[in-house]
Amino acid sequence: MTEGWFQHRQGEFSLEMRWTVGQGEIVTLYGPSGAGKSTTLRAIAGLVRPAQGRIVVGAQEVFDSSRSVWVPPHRRRVGFLPQGYGLFPHLSVEQNVAFGIQRSSPEDRARRTRELLQALSLEELAHRYPHALSAGQQQRVALARALAPRPLLLLLDEPFSALDQELRRDLRRELRAVRDTTGVPIMLVTHDPADALALSDRVVAIDGGRVVAEGTPLEVLERPASPRLSRLTEVENILEGEVVAVDQEDGTMTCDLGGVRLIAPYAPMKVGERVRIGIRAGDIVVAVQRPKGLSAQNALRGSVRAVQARGFESEVLVDCGRLFRAEVTPRAVARLGLAPGKAVWLVIKSNSCFLIE
Amino acid sequence: MVVGDGQRLGAGWLAVGVAPTVLFLLFVGLPLVALLVRGFGHDNFWDSLTSETVLQALRLSLITSAITVGIVALVGTPMAYFLARRQFPGRQLIDGLIELPIVLPPVVAGLAMLMAFGRNSVIGEALTSIGVELPFTMTAVVFAQLFVGAPFFLRSAKLGFEAVDPALEEIAQTLGASPVRTFFRVSLPLASRALAGGLVLCWARAVAEFGATIMFAGNLPGRTQTMPVAILGALESDLGEALALSVVLVVMAVAVLLGVRVAIQRGLGHVL
Repeated sequence: MTEGWFQHRQGEFSLEMRWTVGQGEIVTLYGPSGAGKSTTLRAIAGLVRPAQGRIVVGAQEVFDSSRSVWVPPHRRRVGFLPQGYGLFPHLSVEQNVAFGIQRSSPEDRARRTRELLQALSLEELAHRYPHALSAGQQQRVALARALAPRPLLLLLDEPFSALDQELRRDLRRELRAVRDTTGVPIMLVTHDPADALALSDRVVAIDGGRVVAEGTPLEVLERPASPRLSRLTEVENILEGEVVAVDQEDGTMTCDLGGVRLIAPYAPMKVGERVRIGIRAGDIVVAVQRPKGLSAQNALRGSVRAVQARGFESEVLVDCGRLFRAEVTPRAVARLGLAPGKAVWLVIKSNSCFLIE
Repeated sequence: MVVGDGQRLGAGWLAVGVAPTVLFLLFVGLPLVALLVRGFGHDNFWDSLTSETVLQALRLSLITSAITVGIVALVGTPMAYFLARRQFPGRQLIDGLIELPIVLPPVVAGLAMLMAFGRNSVIGEALTSIGVELPFTMTAVVFAQLFVGAPFFLRSAKLGFEAVDPALEEIAQTLGASPVRTFFRVSLPLASRALAGGLVLCWARAVAEFGATIMFAGNLPGRTQTMPVAILGALESDLGEALALSVVLVVMAVAVLLGVRVAIQRGLGHVL
C-alpha cells in the first residue's frame, strides 16, 4: 500500500493532494496541465519537499512533517520516469539499465540487466547510446532502468506524450505486463483521457491543485467534476457493452451497450467481446421527428430529461434507455422546443462512435 | 548546378573569406616559422637547449604549472559546481570577481598581490612572524599562476556544469545514487569536456604567466625564474638561449593541443 497527503505552496499556487495506490494497482492522476500532477509525483519521489503532509511508500514512511521525517530520494524505493525519459547520454543502454543496481554483485547485476533488456526487447540495443535510439526505444530503456532496482512504486510523468498511437498501445501493453509480472503499483500522470481510460484501475482527477473526483475511469471521465476537466475530456458519452455482430465487408460492427444498439466502425474484435464506445456530445444531432433518408446509421428514440445551458452551448440530456448527452445551440433549443418530456431522435454517425481501447 | 553556384560565388568568397584567412595564417605562421628557422639556425641553439638556465626554467615551469592545475582542479571543480547549481544572494558579485582576473593586466595582479602578501602588508607581516615568506618564492610563482589561470577553468567548468540537465541528477538519485555518487557518475562525466578544456586553458595561461610572476615572484634562477621570465633574461645575454626556451614552449603548446584533442575524441566521442 502506498498512500499519502500533502499541502504545498508554489508561488501563488497552493496544492492539496491525497492518494492511495493498492498493490498491483494502476492509478492515473488526470487533469489539465498546471493542476499539480507532476509536483505530486516529484513529492513522492522525494524531489520536492512539501510544506506539510505524510507519504508512505510500501511499508516505508518517507515523509512526515509532524515528526520531521524526510527520506532523501536515493533511499526511497521509487522508480521515476520523467517526461523526456532522462536517459544518461554518456552511458550505453546496458549501462543505463544497470545504473540503479550498482550495489549488487557483478553477476547479479549482469543477470538482472540481461533479464530486463530481454523483457523489454532491448537486447540488440544493449551497446547503443541514447542519442541513437527512437523515442519508443528510449522510453523502454527508461522503463527497464527504473524497474532494475525493484522499486516499490513506479511513477510515470506523461509517459505517452511523445509517442504516436502505435507506440502508445505498445507502452500500455508493456505497463500492464509490468504490473502483472511484478505486482508493482503504478502511478501515472496524464492529461489525455484516452490514456486514463485505457490503462488505469482508478483515476484521480485533479484541477487547480485539488482532487476533484476519484473513482473508476468511467465514473470520473464521464462526469467531469469541473468545467476545465470537461473541456479536457471532451467525451461526454462513454458506453460499455459487448459486440453483437461484426461486418468486416461493411466496415462496421454492432454493439449492445446496456439497452442501446449502436453501429460503430469495424475493429478486429469477436462477437461477445467487451467494448467501450465514446461519443462526443457535439457529434450527436437532435431531431424532433423520425429522421428519414439519412446516411447516418444510428437513430435512437428517446425523451428529453433536462436541458442545461453551458456557456455558448446547451446540453440536452436524453433518455434512450440509457442517458445521452447532446450539445446543441441555445437557438436550436428554442426552435425545436426542447424541454423535459419532449420526444426526440438522436442521430449518430457510426464514425462518431469511437472505440476506446 | 551547385558547382556553378559555388564558382559564381567564388569571387565574393575570395574577398570576404579566403583572403583574410590566408592573411591570418601568414600573420600567425610567419613569426612562428621565423622563430623556428632562427632558432635551429643559431650557432649555440642545441647547446642552449641543455644549458643550466633552460633546464632549470623548464623544470620550474612544469612543476609550478602542474601544481597550479592540480589545485585549480581540486578546489575549482566543487566550487564551479556549487556556483552552477545554487542561487544565493551575491552570486552575481562572485561571478564578476571570477572573471575579473581575465581582463586585469597580469602586472597589475602581481602588484596587487605584492600589496596584499608583501613584507610590508598586514598579511605579510603576520606570515613573516610565523616564519613564512611568500614573495619571491616558488609558492609566489604558483600564486601568480593561480590568480591569472584559475578564472579560465572556473568559467569553463561553471558553463559545463550549467549545461548538465538537473533532471538527470534527479533521476540518478531516484535510482539510489547519493548526491556524491550522482556527482561523480553523472554531473562530472557530462561536464568533462568543459572541465578538460578549462584545465588546458588554465595550464596554458599558467605556463605563459609573466607579468604577475615577475612582479610578485621576481626573477631568481632555479627558484622563481620560469620559462617566460627566463626568456626576457636570456635576451639580454644570449639570443640562442632565448630562442631555445621559446622553441620548447612552442613545442609544448602544440603537443598539449594535439594530445587533448585526441583524448577527447577517443574518450568521449559518443557524447557528441
